[in-house]
Amino acid sequence: MTSVTLNPADFTRRSPVYRELRDAGARFVESFGGAIAEDFMESAEAEAKSAAGLALADLSLLPHFGFKGRETVDWLRSQGVDVGDQDNVAYRQEDGVLAAKLAPREVLLIADIVGRSDLCARLADSASIEEEVEAFPVPRGDGYFWFLVLGESAPAMFAKICGVDLRSSSFGELEIAQTSVARMNVVIVRCDLGETPAYHVLGDVASASYLWACLLDAMEEFDGRLIGHGAIRHLAGL
Amino acid sequence: MKIIHCPLNGPRNISEFVYGGEVVDMPDPASASDAEWADHVFLENNTRGVVREWWLHVATAYWFIAERDTANEEIVRTYPSSDIFKERVTFAAPDEEQGTS
Repeated sequence: MTSVTLNPADFTRRSPVYRELRDAGARFVESFGGAIAEDFMESAEAEAKSAAGLALADLSLLPHFGFKGRETVDWLRSQGVDVGDQDNVAYRQEDGVLAAKLAPREVLLIADIVGRSDLCARLADSASIEEEVEAFPVPRGDGYFWFLVLGESAPAMFAKICGVDLRSSSFGELEIAQTSVARMNVVIVRCDLGETPAYHVLGDVASASYLWACLLDAMEEFDGRLIGHGAIRHLAGL
Repeated sequence: MKIIHCPLNGPRNISEFVYGGEVVDMPDPASASDAEWADHVFLENNTRGVVREWWLHVATAYWFIAERDTANEEIVRTYPSSDIFKERVTFAAPDEEQGTS
């Protein structure tokens, strides 16, 4: 770990919460076309350990991309994406990408946790609104923030700001809840990191700072903290 | 808080939903009289008993149909609109003269 950091404002591509991350003392490294919070001046191992209770991370710069339209599912299958019939379920691809089926005609692709897969970029390139196929690209990369809430206390924390029961007993791995959190609409996808419960939270970028503040406020009583991308890789065993 | 069972998302607080009006057939705008059109746009049946209504789950922008008893406010059942609308509803375009007036 080095104390050298970048200024995220020097990059054209920025997370919608880069100011909050900077003010919280994040150390940034260049990644995914911008500056991503690598850590908060602690080792990845130490941050990962503290995430067992409750932690929040920002993954907004990682690839995420959506498709809508009558032929979305058939077209994605023809492109080699494994998408099942059931809605509100995320289908894990071989390369770790999650294909989140939000509706019979809508799928949101979210990158593997380290963003190694080129699936999102490849499909974004091959889809076009000019095509005959009714599967329209919905570029969520800049329109949707992407937060990760993880730890044993996450369901208890969510219970304060969300009406859906997210405990393991009723909300399993790879299930999706599209609901209201702190009065704003979000998509929640559960995809655990090793033994640690993990909830991906995606929503409209215009309200990113609002929800970030709400989450930090709700996390306070559980001693929740911010962690960087290094700790997430550590938890995922990568 | 009341719970509505969204056909796509399951049980959710009623605060996540918006009412969208009664399910009624739309008269053909090209041939309907002014009285028929005004009735369709402005007047509601206000039935006592089980009515069929459009509801929207806002978080997913998902429209569906709910049968609600207006006498006791119970939601009797909910289902996707595709259960009753099997084909696209279309009307002939107004003829050239009307369209350009």
